[in-house]
Amino acid sequence: MTISRIEDVQFGEELPVFDPDTSLDNVKRFAVAAGWNRPRFTDHEAARAEGLPGALVPGIMSQGFLAAMIHRWAPDAEVQLVDTVFRAPVVVDLQYHINGVVTDIDEEEKLIEIDLTLTNDADETRVFGTAKVLIG
Amino acid sequence: MLDAEDLAAYAATCGELAPRYTQTSHPDYQAPPTIATSLSPGQRMPIGFPKIAGLGMDAGKAVCSMKPIRPGVTITGKSHMHDIYTKTGRSGRMVFFVIRMELFDPQGDQLAWADTSVVIREKPQS
Repeated sequence: MTISRIEDVQFGEELPVFDPDTSLDNVKRFAVAAGWNRPRFTDHEAARAEGLPGALVPGIMSQGFLAAMIHRWAPDAEVQLVDTVFRAPVVVDLQYHINGVVTDIDEEEKLIEIDLTLTNDADETRVFGTAKVLIG
Repeated sequence: MLDAEDLAAYAATCGELAPRYTQTSHPDYQAPPTIATSLSPGQRMPIGFPKIAGLGMDAGKAVCSMKPIRPGVTITGKSHMHDIYTKTGRSGRMVFFVIRMELFDPQGDQLAWADTSVVIREKPQS
């Protein structure tokens, strides 16, 4: 079910979980489109040579995942603010899951706040953020 | 100036499904709302800013979208040091720098701002 009116949003509502595509092919396409085509994002061996655990998903892509997740739930929503904290690396080709929960609703301003968390399969938080979103 | 096809690829690879971000022919076609964080200022720190010895890391990013950013429009970015603060933990002191870039269209209207937080863990004094 998608959301189009703020009246349909419930406090504490959980957004559908989104598993972003962190495959090397997808991250390479993103890196080229964003102008961030650097080996640490697109080449596992080159990243390991820098002391990293593998090629990294760029932080700006993780932030893009959060906004995309909101639009999948509320396609016409206007994402006004996304504040993101990078707690640990997000490694290319590993599985991640994004959860979101509505933490505030301002019906007068038609604004809601959503807490977003990107975790790995071990349920360890890699990225978390807060979004302010205008809905209908 | 941003390229329409690149913006569509940016949005699609992030998992966007909304046509106004993924279809260049859409009448309201625009960049995804987090695009401002991908734009890097050529000069990040102010000229003459002191160097702090230590390991620098990207600690976070915040982006505020005020108006849609469209392809083919000249965008001007202005950056400044927005905040500096410290946190001290068991492993020593960490210094956080927040660099804010503001984006404007040719009419001077602000389109967005994007903050990049860089943390430097100070080297312990020997």
